[in-house]
Amino acid sequence: MSRLVRWTAAVGLAAAVITACQEKLTSPAECPELCPGGSPQVFDTLIPAAAGLDSSFPSAAEAATGGYVNRGQGTAVLLSSGFVASEDRAIYRFAPRSDQISVRDTLRTYAVDSALINLNLVGRDTTVHGLKLFLFRIPSTVDSTATFDQIDPLLAPPALIDSILVPDTLRTGAVGAVLHGTALSQVTLTGADSTLAIGLRMTADAGTGVRLGTLASSAAGTFTSYVTVDIPDTGSIKKQTISRATAFNTFVTQNPILPVDSLLTVGSEPSSRALIRFAISGGFLDSATIVRATLELTPVQPIYSLPGDLSFLQLLAVVGDIGAKSPVTTDPNFIRQDTLPVVQADTVRIEATGFVQLWKSSRARPQSVFLRIAPEAATFARAVFFSTRSHAAADPTALVAPRLRITYQRTYPFENP
Amino acid sequence: MRRALFILAFALLAPVGAAAQSSQFGTRGLGMPGRAIATRTFALGGGYALFDGESALNPAALGSVTAVTADFTSLQDFRTVENPAGDASVRETRFPHFAIAGPVRQTPAVLGISFSNYTSKDFTLASADTVILRGVLVPTTDTLGSRGGLSDLRFAGAYRIRSAWMIGAGFHIITGTNRLRFNRSFADTTYHPATQQTELSFSGVGLDVGVIRNFGQGFSVAATARADGHVSVDRDSIPTRSTIDLPYSFGFGLRWRLQPRIEVASQALYETWSGANSDLIAAGGIGSEDTYEVSFGAEFTPSLRHPTRPPLRLGVRYGTLPFLLEPGEQPSEFGVSGGTGFRFGQNRAGLDLGLEYVWRAAGAFSERAFLLSLGVTVRP
Repeated sequence: MSRLVRWTAAVGLAAAVITACQEKLTSPAECPELCPGGSPQVFDTLIPAAAGLDSSFPSAAEAATGGYVNRGQGTAVLLSSGFVASEDRAIYRFAPRSDQISVRDTLRTYAVDSALINLNLVGRDTTVHGLKLFLFRIPSTVDSTATFDQIDPLLAPPALIDSILVPDTLRTGAVGAVLHGTALSQVTLTGADSTLAIGLRMTADAGTGVRLGTLASSAAGTFTSYVTVDIPDTGSIKKQTISRATAFNTFVTQNPILPVDSLLTVGSEPSSRALIRFAISGGFLDSATIVRATLELTPVQPIYSLPGDLSFLQLLAVVGDIGAKSPVTTDPNFIRQDTLPVVQADTVRIEATGFVQLWKSSRARPQSVFLRIAPEAATFARAVFFSTRSHAAADPTALVAPRLRITYQRTYPFENP
Repeated sequence: MRRALFILAFALLAPVGAAAQSSQFGTRGLGMPGRAIATRTFALGGGYALFDGESALNPAALGSVTAVTADFTSLQDFRTVENPAGDASVRETRFPHFAIAGPVRQTPAVLGISFSNYTSKDFTLASADTVILRGVLVPTTDTLGSRGGLSDLRFAGAYRIRSAWMIGAGFHIITGTNRLRFNRSFADTTYHPATQQTELSFSGVGLDVGVIRNFGQGFSVAATARADGHVSVDRDSIPTRSTIDLPYSFGFGLRWRLQPRIEVASQALYETWSGANSDLIAAGGIGSEDTYEVSFGAEFTPSLRHPTRPPLRLGVRYGTLPFLLEPGEQPSEFGVSGGTGFRFGQNRAGLDLGLEYVWRAAGAFSERAFLLSLGVTVRP
């Protein structure tokens, strides 16, 4: 054999060995001949929440003392007019403004030339035009106990400070009212009352609402006074600016949702969360491969959200079940967040596959989930769901309790051998 | 002693697993039966196996080993699979046979150990389907994969009675695992892929005996018989209390040196795989049938004065396969092969090369494969 032939054979052999080492074994299967063991079977089942063990917090008795996030402590305050979700009025109280200002180590009086009240729009429905915010002066004693019935009558023309016409193109951002001349009289701070508090109402071409920034989101309103200080022969420091940040903000709702113990309240103000417990048997979890799990909740009434302003329904795995204060996971794999539609009238479905797989892999983890609406106490979306203790009036036999719809696969019947 | 240590080290370097070529006809039962033959015999279509001391079909053939010899065989498989679901080209590399043998000093006895593939169950099958989930048709893709099979560890000895007779016996430990994995994925990604797996473990023992009768330098006859009993099956380390009968095997071979430079050999093998039929059906399988294989090979030595020159080897074989894909449709295979070999270092090392083209078919299922066998022989 010549040297050329030997080399050719050696190279060919090496190439064959190298390519053969790249294993590729997948081939098409014709069943049943090439399906040893048969075909897997997939099933669907509904598992209701553990009876009587689903609750929302705070309970009806505890709601008056507050919830997870109280009204006004969320990332926005609500303001609406003719909106189907709720009728709301916003309230801001600014930090006190002294009637003197320190200039060259001396407290001096000043005269207000003009003022600016700035607000931050954090959410609106841009399809509704003609949005106009009306600012009214209200007593500076306003606090978190204020109700809609107390505040709404105060927002009348005699107390009107100014109005802000919001451009239709503005979705989020600052809006403000500049006060000159006679309008300044509405924000005059005299005597012992050195605090400005304002209430807001709004109008638009159709019923809608807006969300305004708050202390919690570092986007609360500001009250700025442009003043002239009375200092003889010193022109350079006569003009001063006094800015007062928001000291308190809240909103009032005409018909707030009050928790009912037989139902699950989620969201609202103070914000509620629902704790739903399941009791899936170990036998089921052992023998099934979870393909999909969906948490289904039946709302008692439609859930409305502000169009174009997202609200989220969040499902969180519980690390340890100790009731209302159960610690929830921070692992994003076990936090499910779904965007709520503008109107959610029928069954709410949230994918919970990862949760059930977690319970399957770790029996120490409680089969419990927390449900909440984000941003808490700062959205128009408020949900009330049927619990295991309630029944739909229309059909008392219908399963309306929280439930898991689990699609699972039984153990594959591997041929033995 | 040094030689023994060297060979032991060589053996430890070899891959532990042994598996032969895979096939879609090995998806059922215990898999695709392996061929415990060295590359030289592979190139001869298997026709020389009952006389080959480096193969493991006949313990009496160990008597032909005159020096301590280690033989390592690899097999590359380039295969085209066709069935009603479609066709695909697949490839893999396996190590089907490893053997060490050597004479016992100052005696006519030879002892040997070999590790060979008994059955191979390496495959990945992909299929597509549509299932109704929550009232909606959802396309699915299934893959069923299997890796592993049975291996045969043989301890054998042979005894030469003058130059005319060689007799031998062997003890076989049949063991192995089969790792099965099923995966289903859904076109709708809200459904998570489902993966399930299991591991089957097998264990059994067997015995074989063999004889070779040399009628001078030019003609020999060989025969062997083997009983493998059964293998017991554990599933995920839990005994299943099920067993599968393994076959009795019978072989008969002839070798004839036609001319000083041409030697031909032929053999026939018969295995009673039908004994496993009832066990497989009871386990939900389709069943098995007895198999036979007839093979023929010829080796041409180009120069008697230069015996290290590469010989030309040719072979052909036909046989049936034991495990059915469809009732009553026993698979069969036909192969033609060729090869050569090189010897180095005063015949202390060798490299053998074999190439076989195989056709396999059963009803609507068929496949063609190029099998490339590479054998390394060391005589330290």
